[in-house]
Amino acid sequence: MSSIPVAAPDGVRPAAVASPGRLSWAGAAAYLQAAPLSLVFICFLVFPVAATIVVSFFDYDSVRIIPTFTLENYRELLFSRVAWDTYLNTFRFAVLTWALTLLIGFTLSYFLAFHIRSAVWQIALSLLCTVPFWTSNVIRTISWIPFLGRNGLLNMVLLKVGLIHQPLEFLLFSDFAVVLALVHLNTFFMMVPIFNSMMRIDRSLIEAARDAGASGAQILWNVVIPLSKTGIAIGSIFVVSLVMGDFVTVRVMSGGQSASVGLMMANSIGLLQYPAAAANAVLLLVLVLALIAVIVRTVDIRRELAPKAGGSGSDA
Amino acid sequence: MTKRSSSSLTRRRLLKTGAAAGAAALVTGFPTVWAQKYTNITLRQFGTGTSNINAIAERCKQDLGIMLEMTATDTDAAIQRAVTQPKSYEIADIEYFSCKKVFPTGVLQPLDTKRIKYFENIVPIFITGKLTPESKVAQGTAPHTVEFVEGKASKTFAKAPTEWATMIPTIYNADTLGIRPDLVGRPIKNWRDLVDPAFKGKTSILNIPSIGIMDAAMVMESLGKLKYKDKGNMTKEEIDKTIAFLIETKKAGQFRAFWKSFDESVNLMASGEVIIQSMWSPAVTAVRSKGIPCVYQPLEEGYRSWASGLSVAAHVQGPLLDAAYEYINWYLSGWVGAFLNRQGYYSAVLDTAKKYMSDDEWGYWMEGKPAKGDIVAPDGKVMEHAGTVRDGGSFYERMGKVSCWNSVMDEDRYLLQKWNEFIAA
Amino acid sequence: MRDGKRSLGFYLLAGFFGLYVLFLYGPTITIAVLSFQGPNGGLTLPMNGWSFHWFGNLFQRQLVGDFGGSVRRSLALGAMVMVTTVAVSLAAGLAFRKRFRGDTAVFYLAVAGLVVPSILVSLGIGLMYAELGLDTAWYSSAFGAQLTWTLPFGLLIMFAVFSRFNPAYEEAARDLGATPWQALRHVVFPIIAPSLLGIALFGFTLSYDEFARTLLTAGSENTLPLEIYAMTTNITTPVLYALGTLTTAFSFIVIASCLAAVVLIQRRRSAQRRG
Repeated sequence: MSSIPVAAPDGVRPAAVASPGRLSWAGAAAYLQAAPLSLVFICFLVFPVAATIVVSFFDYDSVRIIPTFTLENYRELLFSRVAWDTYLNTFRFAVLTWALTLLIGFTLSYFLAFHIRSAVWQIALSLLCTVPFWTSNVIRTISWIPFLGRNGLLNMVLLKVGLIHQPLEFLLFSDFAVVLALVHLNTFFMMVPIFNSMMRIDRSLIEAARDAGASGAQILWNVVIPLSKTGIAIGSIFVVSLVMGDFVTVRVMSGGQSASVGLMMANSIGLLQYPAAAANAVLLLVLVLALIAVIVRTVDIRRELAPKAGGSGSDA
Repeated sequence: MTKRSSSSLTRRRLLKTGAAAGAAALVTGFPTVWAQKYTNITLRQFGTGTSNINAIAERCKQDLGIMLEMTATDTDAAIQRAVTQPKSYEIADIEYFSCKKVFPTGVLQPLDTKRIKYFENIVPIFITGKLTPESKVAQGTAPHTVEFVEGKASKTFAKAPTEWATMIPTIYNADTLGIRPDLVGRPIKNWRDLVDPAFKGKTSILNIPSIGIMDAAMVMESLGKLKYKDKGNMTKEEIDKTIAFLIETKKAGQFRAFWKSFDESVNLMASGEVIIQSMWSPAVTAVRSKGIPCVYQPLEEGYRSWASGLSVAAHVQGPLLDAAYEYINWYLSGWVGAFLNRQGYYSAVLDTAKKYMSDDEWGYWMEGKPAKGDIVAPDGKVMEHAGTVRDGGSFYERMGKVSCWNSVMDEDRYLLQKWNEFIAA
Repeated sequence: MRDGKRSLGFYLLAGFFGLYVLFLYGPTITIAVLSFQGPNGGLTLPMNGWSFHWFGNLFQRQLVGDFGGSVRRSLALGAMVMVTTVAVSLAAGLAFRKRFRGDTAVFYLAVAGLVVPSILVSLGIGLMYAELGLDTAWYSSAFGAQLTWTLPFGLLIMFAVFSRFNPAYEEAARDLGATPWQALRHVVFPIIAPSLLGIALFGFTLSYDEFARTLLTAGSENTLPLEIYAMTTNITTPVLYALGTLTTAFSFIVIASCLAAVVLIQRRRSAQRRG
């Protein structure tokens, strides 16, 4: 979040001026430098996902995984109304949360990026938004009951102020509560990438637009939003994948009355039905990847993000 | 097991228990002196929070010199750890219905009952399934059905008692509905009161499929909607009907929430979100200790019961195994039993625990008598004031009215699917 | 903050920001209030008297569980994850400044770390360890599981940093005869140091509070979030809130001192520039 808003000029890059000998050295160095990262992901992401895929084709009884090939786990999943309903429900939560976090996150970032000029204040205010995340999520989760409950803090305050005359029951253990908590948890993940994108917008573009007589709304629509696209895409990826895999928030906030894919998996895991959970996981992964693919279509993240390929921010 | 052998065994056991209790009365207050043979040994134990209590580890260190490393988990995680990380523990403190799943995997070893000093004094529920010779064996995964295996190397549960035990019982209780007497406004007598429309939006049930469905079954039977052959082992058809009923009730807005862990049930009740729900006894105590009225309501249809015990991992041998036996013997020798009884649970061996409890404590917790003085929790806090009588009465009244045990059903795969349907509805 | 007059838009947005912060702090405030419950208080309202009882209780032995051990493990794991995240993402960030064969694959691999749902990572690592016959533990499997979460963040921050980084400084150093290592050590490093601090902070925080990915990979010894979770199965006293309040207070102190340090450095730099 350090903020030097002005993008580096499209300069000559070191590798381009280097001699052929240096170049091959640089190439080797790049491999060495990227190796630890790749190793971690191969060991702790690729292999585990592969293991999950393999296990999803295994059979099981109440205590064991039986390593034979079966499609039963997928059949149970794909031909079950419940599974479809659950996926649909999770998707619904994801879309709602995405829309709300986008709206809120964009507004907050806009405020921070364009109305707060001092870097220190920018940092201070964004850090202010991170403090609650330092308290263990488990503890925060418990505290929703005294906050939103029938006799909770919010109802107490609203009653006292005279806005309501009866405690609001829908505040807790409802779909409203689930979305509220998901927005609470995830807005930050939407806000940071958008803020980052906005900080890279060349301020002179806005001045130019203003000089040309554009209204505030026009600037927002024609300059700021298109140039924040990368941030919006990254934020969306965060939020969608976090919400699709959630299994704690949905259960706690709906009082166990709503289902999510993650919860369905957690239940299977609890009963040692690993292959069923694995099949579910694979399906979820495919779905999440499909969603991400849709998002990525709108913006080439690799191109926008990596510094190498025109990532100097002035390409738009 | 034939009927005759079981009842004769029970009678013999009862006689013994009586004699032992008599002897105990004579020697009250004599703590056993334990040889500190195992001061260098550490036993790693995991299990649910109900019994993996630090005070027990501390006392064990003091009495035996054995270091206990305890990890508290929830029921699901306990089963997982038992099966998937068998080398990460020596002692598994798991529930009997978990044992039905875990033991056949071979991660635990059968225990030689001859080496268990108080084995003969264990409450007969765990041996024959009957509290008294007249009792009926309750439905579900009754502990005695998974208590024994056929031999030293066997993984098959024996139909009658043998010398080889899967686990040694330590703690158990009878569960029923908890209510807020100040908010329900009428006497509660039956499981069906849980679905009384008068309490719409203020009730809750347990969201652990295998247990929650049994609570629902208690309600169904209480309503006269269905008569189960075995609530702890339903047929597909019975599951279908029960879930259909649950979905209907849920859609009518009867439930405020479903709870999964101890704290959730306490918080729901203490905050007034829920005024009647299935509950665990110490949860009721916890609500009450916050100055909020809460009653563990005995019901006409009886209780749903559970039990836990200690088992030893298959890899344990030599001095480590000796220490494990020593620890289990110590566990049954009274101090822990008294500690658990004082929290509202029951100990597997009664007469040894009695030695460590005052007459008033014993009268209140075990005999259903009004407390003469204040009843104090292990941490010194006053739990109940003089004159109070325990909900549900004495040990025999409560444990004698068990209708079914927590269980693993043959159709548990199907049950989970249907339960998910209920949650998603 | 800024010179002169502000637009209506500023006040509207500032109000919105304020409301968001209030919403964000709702649970935190609730936790703070409830941690001052009386000795007989519970985890929910109503308050049952006011006291500091639970803060004292925090440092005593609990009925179940072990704050001390799990805090130590979480701190150790947090530190391991922090150091590894900084080192690995810095290296990878440097690698991505050049083009190399397979860079796109590595990039998507890292993004996948963010995208693959946590519970799947947890399950997958658990299954993999089981199939390999290894025991999971907080310092091996959980460590790896958390890295799949923290490294992509680290890498993305590095990308952001290097996309703003002006290579002219580095080239100047090279022109003056510095080796690549010297250029890195004396030119690049000091410039990106604050961002590395950011990555470190991020890595630690994400690790310290990680739950889903650690759940099935921590093995027999719990990290703090898992321990708290397990403790909630038996403890219904505000001692958990006292822990929460202390954590929040502690984070405020850390953040305030970090900010103070930034301000101080800025002043010193501008003073040097002037002097």
